[in-house]
Amino acid sequence: MSKIELLAPAKDLQKAKIAIMYGADAVYVGGKSFSLRSRASNFTIDDLRELCSFKKDYGARLYVTVNIVFHDDDYEGIREYLKILDDMGVDGIIISSLALLRVAKQVAPGLECHISTQLSSLNSLAVETLKEYGADRVVLAREASMDQIRRIAQRTSVPLEVFIHGGMCSNYSGRCVLSNRMTLRDANRGGCAHSCRWKYHLFAGDEIISNPNCLLSMSSKDLRASAYVEDMIRCGIASLKIEGRMKSEYYIGQVVKTYRQMIDEIYFKGHLTEDRLAYYDEELSKAENRPSDDGFLSGDCDNTKHLYGVNGAGVTHDYVAYVHRYDEARSLCMIEVKNIFKRGDRIEVFGPQVDNEQFVIDQMFDQSWNAVDLANKPTQLLFLRIPFKVHQGDMFRRVSL
Amino acid sequence: MELLATLRKRELLEKVLPFVDGIIVGKFFTSSYHCTLKEIVEINVICKASQKKIYLVLDDFISEDDIDALYRYLEFIKKLEPDGIYFHDFGIVAAAKRYGLSDKLIYDGKTVACNSLDTAFLLSKGIDSVVLSRELTLEEIFRIAKNNPRQIDLQIFGHQRLSYSKRRFLTNYFKEINKEYGYLGNEDLYLVEEQRDYKLPIIENEEGTFIYSDYVFEMINELPELMPYLKRGIVDSLFIEDQTIIDVCRDLRRLSSENKRFIRDNLYHNHPDVYASGFLYQRTNISKDE
Repeated sequence: MSKIELLAPAKDLQKAKIAIMYGADAVYVGGKSFSLRSRASNFTIDDLRELCSFKKDYGARLYVTVNIVFHDDDYEGIREYLKILDDMGVDGIIISSLALLRVAKQVAPGLECHISTQLSSLNSLAVETLKEYGADRVVLAREASMDQIRRIAQRTSVPLEVFIHGGMCSNYSGRCVLSNRMTLRDANRGGCAHSCRWKYHLFAGDEIISNPNCLLSMSSKDLRASAYVEDMIRCGIASLKIEGRMKSEYYIGQVVKTYRQMIDEIYFKGHLTEDRLAYYDEELSKAENRPSDDGFLSGDCDNTKHLYGVNGAGVTHDYVAYVHRYDEARSLCMIEVKNIFKRGDRIEVFGPQVDNEQFVIDQMFDQSWNAVDLANKPTQLLFLRIPFKVHQGDMFRRVSL
Repeated sequence: MELLATLRKRELLEKVLPFVDGIIVGKFFTSSYHCTLKEIVEINVICKASQKKIYLVLDDFISEDDIDALYRYLEFIKKLEPDGIYFHDFGIVAAAKRYGLSDKLIYDGKTVACNSLDTAFLLSKGIDSVVLSRELTLEEIFRIAKNNPRQIDLQIFGHQRLSYSKRRFLTNYFKEINKEYGYLGNEDLYLVEEQRDYKLPIIENEEGTFIYSDYVFEMINELPELMPYLKRGIVDSLFIEDQTIIDVCRDLRRLSSENKRFIRDNLYHNHPDVYASGFLYQRTNISKDE
């Protein structure tokens, strides 16, 4: 059996490279057209070409989302686009339009066609139907329990992809146009306003029956399926998917690295102990900005799996710098400031080859070698000495004392 | 165009039947009256005796646990010899094949049947007809219908479904605020967002929670020109008074370009409600950056 794939999202080229460097077997990205998450930076053809070249060096795979719910006008240029993707070496596309199965097989036969979670596939019969239609892989709906996933995998030969981490639609994916009604933004064409996360009064006829101190919200906690990774490996799932094409490089790096190590440990040791799972959960929590749980994997979602007092996502400011260069001879590191930090702060460094090593910032300099006490200018490049080896692509986070 | 009405409650059947070509019912029907098997048999007998068509609905997502129940239900359906089966879970395509019901399938994805190519693809796979999504503009509907003439169904009246969740939003909310309330199947509950005044009907049943448009969708002005291209037009009775549904069905049956203004005025006058043309003239492709 081939090793399970760890599939990560990326908003732009930099994040896609980070995902691969931090251990993703595959990344999925959106092009400038035909893709949900319209606010994600999304990739130009040149970006995709560069990423194709980059991923080859790591033996990684690249899937491009072509997953909007198409209206007639949206198909313009799709044939040419798919052919370009195929020619440049993209491995597959993620689609919700069944007609694209036929189009892709005609004009871009090298592309695998993965059926998006937008079609909410929840049973083995649906998976088999989609296979008959030409699907090469099916992304299961996030409403399936682990037990159901196991049985679906037993009953079908189609490679299955399952979400393990990140945000969740509170409605069946693709079956919600609340955003269309509330804001005229098409939820299924990249414009979702997350109206489900807003707060609502509940009326019975003309009488308000909601609690004014706790209005109704459909907002769900994010998904964290760390406890199920071992089960998913055992039942033959092809790919474990992390959600979050809008997420930061810090989030991508931390989450990908944690699941990479977890998966490798399960394959190496055959089992993950409770202590090790707790360790990985702790690592995942460093990247989280919304509460999380195991969604439908353990069964139904009750009130504890909803968020009633939180509107949107909080932002973590723990990620403070990105490493651009390291001069080992002088122990000198060039970093890019991401969030505010200062001399004396305790910093934890993590990266593909560095596991949470800590140091205290002693001195920092700007590019003119002026001493800097407070790093508070995002994107500013600073130099500092660091007592252990780091690498391009490593990240700094502030440690709360 | 066949004129169909969903059955909000059993008592509506005899009242509405004279004015429609067929009825839509279902045990699994999540957007309308939840019939027992016995009631479905009875409704089937009445429809057939009246030479009216009967369509069944299976518009839930089927979990792996429910496959055996699905097979049993299809076995039951087959004996009824229905005129069609509305579905949106592709598992039903495989299951229907087993019972020789493939040619009865009508795809109703609610929000994902938005273009000519996907419609043509499904028709090429033996699907009888496709119900177009509710968020399409009139221009888009015409285009798809002309590309696939008389193979398109369309909701032509009623509240439009905006969302479908497996989560039990009402159960969970009442648990969260420690309140007991009779909400299962209750058609009198509404959501109103903090900053907006839309009154969105919300209903929960065993399959999950459904939210509908605040307005009653109607397209009386537009329908006469569109009818030649449609296979079926659906009047959804959910949340709407019986008499309104009866009058609407009676009037739509005799709708023409000549009387459409009169019929529309009658509706607005005799059954005042919040009527709207939905997305017919309202494109919803604003991006987040706009």
